[in-house]
This record gives sequence, C-alpha cells and structure tokens, in this order.
Amino acid sequence: MPDTIPTPVTDWQPELDELRRREAMAREMGGPDKVRRQHDGGRLTVRERMDKLADPGSFHEIGAIAGRAAYDGAGELERLTPSNCVFGRATLDARPVVLVGDDFTVRGGSADATIREKPLMAERMANEFRLPIVRIIEGSGGGGSVKTIETTGRANLPGGVGGTGLFNYTTLNLSAVPVVGLGLGSVAGLGAARLASTHYSVMTKETAAMFVAGPPVVARLGQNLDKKALGGWEIQTRSGAVDHAVDSEEEAFECARRFLSYLPSSVHGLPPDLPCDDDPGRREDSLFSIVPRDRRRVYQMRRIIEAVVDRGSFFEQGRMFGRSLITGFARFGGRAVALMASDPYFYGGSWTADTCQKAVRFLDMAETFHLPVVYLVDCPGFMIGLEAERAATIRHGVRAMAAMNQTTVPWCSIIIRNAFGVAGAAHQPAGRLSLRYAWLSARWGSLPLEGGIEAAYRAEIEAAPDPAQKLREIEDRLNQLRSPFRTAETFWVEEIIDPRETRRLLCDFAQLAAPLRMPQPGRLQMRP
Amino acid sequence: MAEVKIAAEITASVWQIQAKPGDQLAEGDTVMLLESMKMEIPVAAPRAGRIAAVLVAEGDQVEEGQAVALLEA
Repeated sequence: MPDTIPTPVTDWQPELDELRRREAMAREMGGPDKVRRQHDGGRLTVRERMDKLADPGSFHEIGAIAGRAAYDGAGELERLTPSNCVFGRATLDARPVVLVGDDFTVRGGSADATIREKPLMAERMANEFRLPIVRIIEGSGGGGSVKTIETTGRANLPGGVGGTGLFNYTTLNLSAVPVVGLGLGSVAGLGAARLASTHYSVMTKETAAMFVAGPPVVARLGQNLDKKALGGWEIQTRSGAVDHAVDSEEEAFECARRFLSYLPSSVHGLPPDLPCDDDPGRREDSLFSIVPRDRRRVYQMRRIIEAVVDRGSFFEQGRMFGRSLITGFARFGGRAVALMASDPYFYGGSWTADTCQKAVRFLDMAETFHLPVVYLVDCPGFMIGLEAERAATIRHGVRAMAAMNQTTVPWCSIIIRNAFGVAGAAHQPAGRLSLRYAWLSARWGSLPLEGGIEAAYRAEIEAAPDPAQKLREIEDRLNQLRSPFRTAETFWVEEIIDPRETRRLLCDFAQLAAPLRMPQPGRLQMRP
Repeated sequence: MAEVKIAAEITASVWQIQAKPGDQLAEGDTVMLLESMKMEIPVAAPRAGRIAAVLVAEGDQVEEGQAVALLEA
C-alpha cells in the first residue's frame, strides 16, 4: 500500500475557456455591422488603433472583459458587450506608456457603455506609475448622451458626488506626465475636453471634427452647419484648440511618437538625449545672406531653423495658430530643446493676443518637462491697432512675459533682426542670466523710429519751415546712432555674431544646459 | 480645372498687386504684397495655375482669411 493517496488530476481549464470566450466576445466590439460602418467611414477600430500605435505586440490590455453581460434563464452567458473604453499599457519606441481609447462601435463612445472607472484608472495609472498617456478619442469620449437619463433613472449633475475623478486627473496629469490627444472621429462634449486638455493634440482632416456640441444641437441656435464647417480641422487648428491636423490615422500615430520622443516619461525624469551624427560645428553659409538688407522684406524663418538644428530634428507644434511665433521641439547635438522663433510673414513677427497664448502654453510645457529654451527673435513689438486693443493684446502680452519670467530652465536667445518695445524685451527671462547673441542684421529700440519720431519730436517738426525735410533730418541723425555696434560698445548687448556660427553656439548652449536640468516636479502647475 | 481661392493669411492693406488675370503662376509665386507692421508680406500661389480674378485693389484693407484672388488650377 502506498503511504500517500495520489492527488486527483485537476486543472482550471473550464475557467480558462470561459475567460478566453469572454475575451473573444470583447474583441468583437460593437459587432460586425458597427465595425463595417467604422471602416466604411474611413476609420480604424479602437483595437486596430492600439495595435498600429503601439510597438508590435506590446499592448497589454486592462479590463478587457468589463462590459454589459446578458445571461439566459440557466445563468449562462449569452453575450458580452464590452465597455467602449479600451485601455492598457504598451511601449512606444520601447518606452512604456498608457494608451486609452474610445470604441465608437459600442454606443457611439457614449458614457452609458463606458464604465467610468476604466478611463479613470488609465489616467491614474499614468499619474502614479509616471507614464505618458495617449488618449484616442472618438465620440463623446465617455461623456453622457441624452439617453443616459433613461438608463440611470435620474438627471446627471456634472461632477456630482464622487464624479470629479476624471477632471481631477485631466488637470493633475498636465503637470505630471506628457499627455497626447488624438481626435480620430467626431469628438464632442467630454471628448472635446479630453482632447483639448493635453500637451499635444492631433486630428485627422477628413474623418474628424471636434466641438462642444455637434450640428444638431447647434442647429437649435439657428446655425445650420455640417460637422466640418462647425469643428473641422481648419476651424480647430486655427482656433488653437487642436495643435495639428493630418491626412491619416497612421500619421497621427507617428506624430504622437515623435512628440513623445522629445520629452521625459514624466516630470521626474529628463528628456532623452539621442546620438547625433550632425557636426555641432557645422557652418551654414546660407545664413549669411538670408535676412534681407531691405527692412521691409521678409524671409523664411523655418529655413533658419532647419539650418541650425540637428538635421531633420525640428518638430513643429501648432503651426496654424498664433502664427507670428513658430513653436516646436528640436535637437542640438542630440539634446532636446523647446524652440521658439518669430515668423515675419505674420504681422512682421508681432505678437498678437493669440501668439501670446501660444507662447504661454509652450513655455509652461518647456518648464514642466525640463526642456531648455532656444528663441530666435524677430519681434517688432506687440500687435498694434484697434483690433489688437480689442483683443486685450497687452494683457495677454504681459501674461506671456510672466510665463517667460517664471521659467527656470536654461535659456538662449538669438536676435535675428528686430527687438522692439515691451514685446522686444520679452526675449529672455527677467532676473536671471541667459545666453544671448545678436546677428549682424539685428536692430532694436524702445519703439521703431518710423512713427516714433513724429511723436517724440512733434514740436521740433511742427516749428520747422519744411516739416517733411525736418523729419528726414531727424531720422537720418537717429539712424546713425542705432547701429548695434554702438549698443555693444556700451555692453548693452553682450555679443554680435556671424550668423554662420549659430549652430555651433546653440550646440554649445545645449551642452552647458544639460547638467542644469533638474528631474523633479516643477513649481509650475500647468494649465491647458 | 478647379477654382482655388487665394486668401490673405493676415489682416493687412494691399500694398502692390503683382499678378493680373490670365497670368500663369507656379506654386509659390507672388500674387501680391500686403503691408502689415511696415513689412511687405507676400501672398503666394498655393499651387500652379492661372489667375482667374484679382478680387482686391491696391490700398484695400483685407481681413485674415479673406479671398484676394482666384486661381484656376
């Protein structure tokens, strides 16, 4: 007789089968008809999106079998309609991130099929595990539909008892981890809020539109507009509500990857450095003649940017908004920086109210993620005129200056041409030492001579027998004094440089700045 | 043949019109110069085509987004 009784062979195969059956049901999403409609509309399903965005095979889903189940009389599961929020972890270019996406095939992405703890856990995971989050948004992004009142049996107080968790994280995460929003269909209400409350947002041109409320609701105001006319890419990128528009979902995924490549995974880390095979000392001869001598003529600032950064490393953000200021990310010697540059094609580079808003958000982001700032300056001042006054340009302007002054990241300015007035002073943070170089084409003043002379010398001009002649005389006299060399004589500007030296000096700056970056939460609490 | 609106990207005054109806332009060619903040800002053809109409005159004020010329492309 054996002295022990053999254990009966057993396993958990039935339960495993049940798990796999439920997972398979969840992968059906809203069913073949809804999936076909999604594809017929030129849009991928949420699961296809996750697979294309993530590194191959890296998506690890959480809560896949959460949804609404239907059972037969014997208590057997008949079907499972999954939650229309799909989320999990994945890697993008081998760095871990959280991905969260709306499934439009299940009740159009609306709240009654979401299970609100899912998007909440995605945000919380990003926050507590210090991971970037990419939100793939379509529909009302987990917001309610009018029908919700019937399913819950009561009206929803937005943000009612215990209901502010998501809004808490959409705010907290902006100061904690990179947040990217991809609007890949009709995006309304809470979905629009989740798309706009990001560091970087992208929408597709043909298949996406974003609005607070869609065409049927807006029609009640007497505005009969289709989705694109109300919230298509041309509206939303020019309004500054969305940063960028692309032709395909695949491009949107590439933009998300590229954006994240310049940033640390959270405020607790530093932006990753990359190997660089572009000579830091490379001299660009084109820069010697790119700025026209004729001060009324403009030039292509983006050519200057492309010439000085590591080849191909410039990634622009928000091109269609606040267009007198170009903002984006670039690398110098492999080190990431936040780069701002004036665009003289738009109001000569003057800062409009929109430009100032753009600068505030961009500088807040640079400060939050420890990116040194490079600013290529050609600013004749704040925008002037009645329209500019009505837009409160000066208040937005001083707000942008405050954002600049509140940065603590290393800063380097290159004055390419103009620096005039208060906006001209806003080319480096006040109260701390930054690096500054002026090109040979630089010129500056409290205000431009043109127009300024008439104001300052009014009595002298009016008393002259030939006022026009007097004006010219004064202008000639003052012009002789405004050479930047006279400013350098008095050390009111530190250095005037050959423009061809610019790349070398900016690579030098990036190297000097590297050890000054601090991997820690900043004092700044960023807002969208 | 599609008719393409060429729009002013900024609020400005029309300084100098350089293309006239019938002119064949390459993409990027200057249609007119606007003046804003004492700078001359070119309005460029968004693609190659023939100017069908110029909708503004020198000295006119134009708004951001306003069509200033039509291009047959």
